[in-house]
Amino acid sequence: MAETQLAILFTSIALVVIGLYAAIFVDNIIKKIIGISFIEEGANLFIVGIGYKAGGIVPILMPNMDPAWFASNASYPLPYGLVLTSIVIGASTLAVMLALVMVLYRKYGTLSTSVMLADTSKQEEYNE
Amino acid sequence: MIEFILMIITIVSAILALIQKDLLKAAILTGFSGGALAVLFQILLAPDVALTQAIVGAAIVPVFIALAVKKTQRRDA
Amino acid sequence: MNELIPLMVIVPMMAALLLSAFSKYDKLIRILAFVVAICLPIIPIVSNYGLHFFGGYEPMVDNVTNILYHPAITYSFDFMQQCFIAMIGLLTFLVVFIYLSKYKKVSGPYLFLLFMGTSAATALILTDDIFHMFVFFEILALAQVGIVAASSIEYSYEMALKYMILGAIGSPMMLLGIGFLLAMTGTVNVTDIVAILRGGLLNVTSPVFLLSLGLIFFGWLYASGLPPFHTIKSGIYSKAEPHAAALLQSFTVISMISIVIIMFRIYSSLPIFEVFIVLFSVIAMILGVSMALTQTDFRRMIGFLAVGELGFIGLGIGLGTQFALTAGLFQALNEIVITALLFIGFGAIVHSTNEVDTRKLGGLLAYHPKVGIMLLIGGLAMAGVPPLNGFQSKLMLVQASLSCGYPELSILTIMVSIATFVVFVKTFYSMFLRPKPHDLEVADKEVPKAMVFTMLILLIVIFALGLFPNVVTSGISNYVGGLLL
Repeated sequence: MAETQLAILFTSIALVVIGLYAAIFVDNIIKKIIGISFIEEGANLFIVGIGYKAGGIVPILMPNMDPAWFASNASYPLPYGLVLTSIVIGASTLAVMLALVMVLYRKYGTLSTSVMLADTSKQEEYNE
Repeated sequence: MIEFILMIITIVSAILALIQKDLLKAAILTGFSGGALAVLFQILLAPDVALTQAIVGAAIVPVFIALAVKKTQRRDA
Repeated sequence: MNELIPLMVIVPMMAALLLSAFSKYDKLIRILAFVVAICLPIIPIVSNYGLHFFGGYEPMVDNVTNILYHPAITYSFDFMQQCFIAMIGLLTFLVVFIYLSKYKKVSGPYLFLLFMGTSAATALILTDDIFHMFVFFEILALAQVGIVAASSIEYSYEMALKYMILGAIGSPMMLLGIGFLLAMTGTVNVTDIVAILRGGLLNVTSPVFLLSLGLIFFGWLYASGLPPFHTIKSGIYSKAEPHAAALLQSFTVISMISIVIIMFRIYSSLPIFEVFIVLFSVIAMILGVSMALTQTDFRRMIGFLAVGELGFIGLGIGLGTQFALTAGLFQALNEIVITALLFIGFGAIVHSTNEVDTRKLGGLLAYHPKVGIMLLIGGLAMAGVPPLNGFQSKLMLVQASLSCGYPELSILTIMVSIATFVVFVKTFYSMFLRPKPHDLEVADKEVPKAMVFTMLILLIVIFALGLFPNVVTSGISNYVGGLLL
């Protein structure tokens, strides 16, 4: 079904756009990070959508299958392998960002990026 | 049919997560979005990706965010 | 010995894991870090050129379409890779040496980050696979963030978080770009993609192809710190410890050239690609030098100068002829050495004065004559003064832009070089030559011997590359000729 593939494309683009909006315009740092995780999910969904073959089968070759039939019906497994790596990378990036946020919260007592990540050169001048 | 419902759940819970005032609720809704995506991956013929996404997207990521919220503050002020 | 090719990545990575696991035993990790750091520059020198296929999956010929395709992740190792990996190995050795001699108690996790960064940069330049490139691009970004956050300089966490957030936006963009390429070609191997493009199986004028260029280009801009990311890049240099900053800038240069070479191989048929690269490089050159002029923190000044120098590399690659590409890559090699020397030298000054503001410094030549003279030579090399290596590569760049028919670019190159010279001499004067301000207290500390030793070795490399550039340029020229075929 072509509609499914179109819908996958639409969903992934929607996730990327929602995530970008949050990462750029939302002030709260935790929400920025949630937005970034949505961008990553959108990219992952897009890549899975590349491998998807409508009406196909899971790309696992069983002993009783004909290889030629399998080759023409199975979905393309290479993107799935890539997405596995990318999901784990996304989770580790998120963990590091949250750890930095926890350290910075102790210093500033707020989650607002406009306070926390203001231009550091200005902060230095202010301290002087 | 079910894939369209899952896509709608993913997008709507993503939007809802970003408009919450309570960050803990936002963390749970992130998990909703990740979990729906995991089931979607299963329907898109990628069971291995679905397993990983179910663990990472539906469990680990919301727990990390909830832990960070617990150590910082709950209200989005 | 082709088996050594994957070891260039595996050895630092294993060392990183072991160092972090045994971080309790101080003596053990000192010895381990030192031994591995010595091995790093030696492995690429003794290794043979060739290809390495992970898992032993040799390339296969498709019976139907008669195209050779590569099922395995492929590492290709040639003269260019050898130069850069040996250089980054040497630099890692020197930085680890400084670190080990500076602190009584060494930190395992910090050494983990240094070695992990080296490993990721090495893998980036070796790889022939765009997804593998993306993975190590992420690991490199994480390692850089860790190195910045681990420094004890004020506001380092804020800078690390900013860099991380920008990276977390940039890397999914790059992943999307890779996804578009994968969707069009069905493979992630660069050689295969190039073969498909050459075979005319793909419409290069399609908007999807252009979109994938734009997305990967965005990731490249982030990785190399060209505008609009020049401020954050110079920021992370100034917030890292000086020896770590020397390593960070080499990671930046390596990731810049390795990603741009992959992009060049795929997209060089699009004329807009080269226009993009030249445009951003020129902006980087002008912005880098003009922002360096206004800085009062000298670490920040060197950071902006380093970004400006990156523009020269981009210019060489954007011009796209064999000579210009050679000039760009040679400039990259020179920049790694020169900027490392400057960061370490200025780090020695911070070590003895605890002051980074050029307005409050002065008269340091009487206290640290050796460091002063070595820094002066480094600055002259960066500005492109004759017998030094910066002169050779910048001369090649000027010739290349003239022979491509863009005299404007060569005039701009010379003007930016002069401006670099002005910036450097201004800072040097206010730090070393003018009378010492009364309220400046120079601690009566010797500059650490390890730092002087490191600067001496880097100076030897600078002179060697300046006097005998053909040793490197002829080999790089051959490699580039192979790319352009």
